[in-house]
Amino acid sequence: MAEIATKGRSRPKAAPSPWKQKKRKPSKGGSGVPSLNGKWAYLFIAPFVIMFLIFGLLPVLYSTNLAFYQYDPLSLSQTWVGWDNFKFVLADETFWISLGNTFEIWALSTFPQMLMAIGFAAILRSRFLRGKTFWRTILLVPNITSVIAVAIIFGQLFGRDYGMINNVIGFFGFPHIDFVENSFASHVAVAVMITWRWVGYNSLIFLASMLAIPDELYESASLDGAGAWKQFTNVTLPGLKNTITFVLIVGTIGGLQVYAEPLTLAGTQDGGSSHQLSTLTMYLYNETFINMKYGYGAAIGILITIIVLIISAINFLVTRRVASEDKR
Amino acid sequence: MSKNKFTRSLAGVAMIATVGAGLLVATPARATAPAVTINIWTFGDVIEPALLRAYKVIHPEVTIALKKADLDPSMTNLTTSCSAYVQSHHLGSPPDIAAVEVSYSGYWRAYPQCFTDMRTLSTSAANANAQSLVPSSSNIAAGLSATDIKNNYLAWRWAQGTGYNDSVIGIPTDVGGLEVAYRTDLFKKAGLPTDRAKVSALWPTWDKFIAVGKQYMTKVSAADKKKGVGFIDNVGTIYAASMNQGTYKYYNNNGTDAGQLVYKVQGNAPVYDPKTKAQKIDPKTKKPMFKKDWVLNPNITKAWDYTIKADNAGIGTRIGQYTSDWNIGMTKGTFATILAPAWMMDYIKGQAPTTSGKWNIASLPGGGGNQGGTQLTIPKWAAHPQEAWDFINWYLAPQQQLTVFKTYGLFPSTKVIYNDPALTGFKDPFFTNAPVGSIYLTGIQKLQPIFEGKLERAIDQAIGAGLGRVAAKKQTSLQSQIQVMIDLDKATK
Repeated sequence: MAEIATKGRSRPKAAPSPWKQKKRKPSKGGSGVPSLNGKWAYLFIAPFVIMFLIFGLLPVLYSTNLAFYQYDPLSLSQTWVGWDNFKFVLADETFWISLGNTFEIWALSTFPQMLMAIGFAAILRSRFLRGKTFWRTILLVPNITSVIAVAIIFGQLFGRDYGMINNVIGFFGFPHIDFVENSFASHVAVAVMITWRWVGYNSLIFLASMLAIPDELYESASLDGAGAWKQFTNVTLPGLKNTITFVLIVGTIGGLQVYAEPLTLAGTQDGGSSHQLSTLTMYLYNETFINMKYGYGAAIGILITIIVLIISAINFLVTRRVASEDKR
Repeated sequence: MSKNKFTRSLAGVAMIATVGAGLLVATPARATAPAVTINIWTFGDVIEPALLRAYKVIHPEVTIALKKADLDPSMTNLTTSCSAYVQSHHLGSPPDIAAVEVSYSGYWRAYPQCFTDMRTLSTSAANANAQSLVPSSSNIAAGLSATDIKNNYLAWRWAQGTGYNDSVIGIPTDVGGLEVAYRTDLFKKAGLPTDRAKVSALWPTWDKFIAVGKQYMTKVSAADKKKGVGFIDNVGTIYAASMNQGTYKYYNNNGTDAGQLVYKVQGNAPVYDPKTKAQKIDPKTKKPMFKKDWVLNPNITKAWDYTIKADNAGIGTRIGQYTSDWNIGMTKGTFATILAPAWMMDYIKGQAPTTSGKWNIASLPGGGGNQGGTQLTIPKWAAHPQEAWDFINWYLAPQQQLTVFKTYGLFPSTKVIYNDPALTGFKDPFFTNAPVGSIYLTGIQKLQPIFEGKLERAIDQAIGAGLGRVAAKKQTSLQSQIQVMIDLDKATK
């Protein structure tokens, strides 16, 4: 845009809005691109749109259709069952267990993680810390590790009889905790895996946001007599408000997709003896591809979509509120 | 593990080198064969690499591409692939050969449209020619169809690979068999006999097996008990073992593709108080109340009760099989017995190499046993059915199966070599020189064929979860059975 502005022969005195500039007819001698009036744009977005139609929209429509059939992938005639699949899902105890598990794991992994990430970011921002780049790199290492590798290693740490964590617990004379069979303990185990993987990443996001808070605010705060803690609660935290919302939204999206960690810990697709580790995605996969009920699986998929839409709506409202508060 | 692999590959190279040298003369005659790639979809160690190298010597033009997955995902892949064939009649996509595990054989029997009927295939003359040029190979004659080789195989194993209309959709690779692998050092410490004949005599029935387990546990110190030491690795394995000793499981063969579901029968179901979740007591007779309702079939409840009895006796460690705890426990002697199919011997050797010579094999309580086993199938859409059939005939020929048994412990499915001294006399030093060949053979010959129905795997999964809930003290045995009934009704709907 700046380029177009300098090209203009008769530059207006007041800087025009960039939107108006876009509409300006280009000079004949200029490059041919703008003269097509944005038709090129369609070509450039075509790859995405085509891919989206084939791999995004089409499967959605197809599986919506599937949800109304008792679908057998290996035969040509399918039975129309109307809303039956949806009724069965809603009446299925496992669906509600999976939903509860998903949210419990989400809550256990998101909130402690956020506190830790803000803490790490505050430490990284500290003036007294040596080797900042080293520490920042170290924090990001868990995030680039394969999920399955993380899950296998943590699965060994959480082993009931010989796991390191239970060795420590046993050393202090407490009975071993079964991190697979015990419902709450298993959720904690999964939450620890997720936290370990994502806390560094979120720390860096918080750090970037903290560095954007102007130093003058801290200076004036200290002039007002605010100590380090007061500065943190009254200057840093309010400055992080948008970032917290962002991390929360990304965390929620990730939380609804949790799959590899509970699967590896449970060892079975159904999420353990009482489905204590079954998440929504695991439930979907188990019903569709292990129990071979494609129509039923499609109905689960649609219900998950509805849940995501509800959460997105809540997120949207919260974000808008945060944004409007900022304007004031 | 890596050392083992290294030795294997060395052996393979040596094999190729020696046989290859002998082949140099014959090469011109074979140069005309066009290059072919056979795609095989498999899981675990169904296809052994050493044999593939040997096949390459006979058929240098054939490249075998293995695609390995876990058991359940490999079946999902096959479903997707067959779906593409059924819905669009697209031919020529992989795989050329798909390995199907026994627990899924009932499922695939319901879809014979996915597989080439192997009665319609016949081994090629070119193949017979190529094999006759290699002195060490087993010379598969030309013109063999599935009907011709049927009599080589154990009848009930063969039946697991046939469709309801007698079409042959899979050739059995091996028989699982099931015996008890036990630690002689731990048995000695507990004052039990260590000799395999005496140990087998200890437990003719499952009740006796549980009694021996209790006896073993009395010798285990309190400190060890706290650490989770037990007699058997996982009592849940008793369920499948006992189930396979019956005459039917969840389905009856009614001549249809999927079979008739018989997992539930009319019987006395306990009446529950919805509030306390405990069984209601009749106020007059003071006895627990029952009503006439659907209950699990007697075969299931029998196997279930043995498992729960063993669990209550506290003889199991509750370590899940194939977990890290299991692998460590095997070395540490956390458990003294494992119900081991023949193919598990290689796993034990790989995971607990330091326990060599401390193991022995005794017979399974309650009769013969079987767990696992695989069939090789040729999907309808295979690009190279002829080459695939030639390969299957060579790979599953008695001579090759004997080699696999000696190297990896997979028990042959070909009954024609069951009298071969190389099999019956085979002793394994890892298992205190137990004649593993004759031990597994005896158990396998005691077994009756059991009809495998369509949703076998899902039903097994639901019942396994039910037993797990009781073991974890989440539900009582009866509560869990009722939950299993609900789950099964849902799974089979």
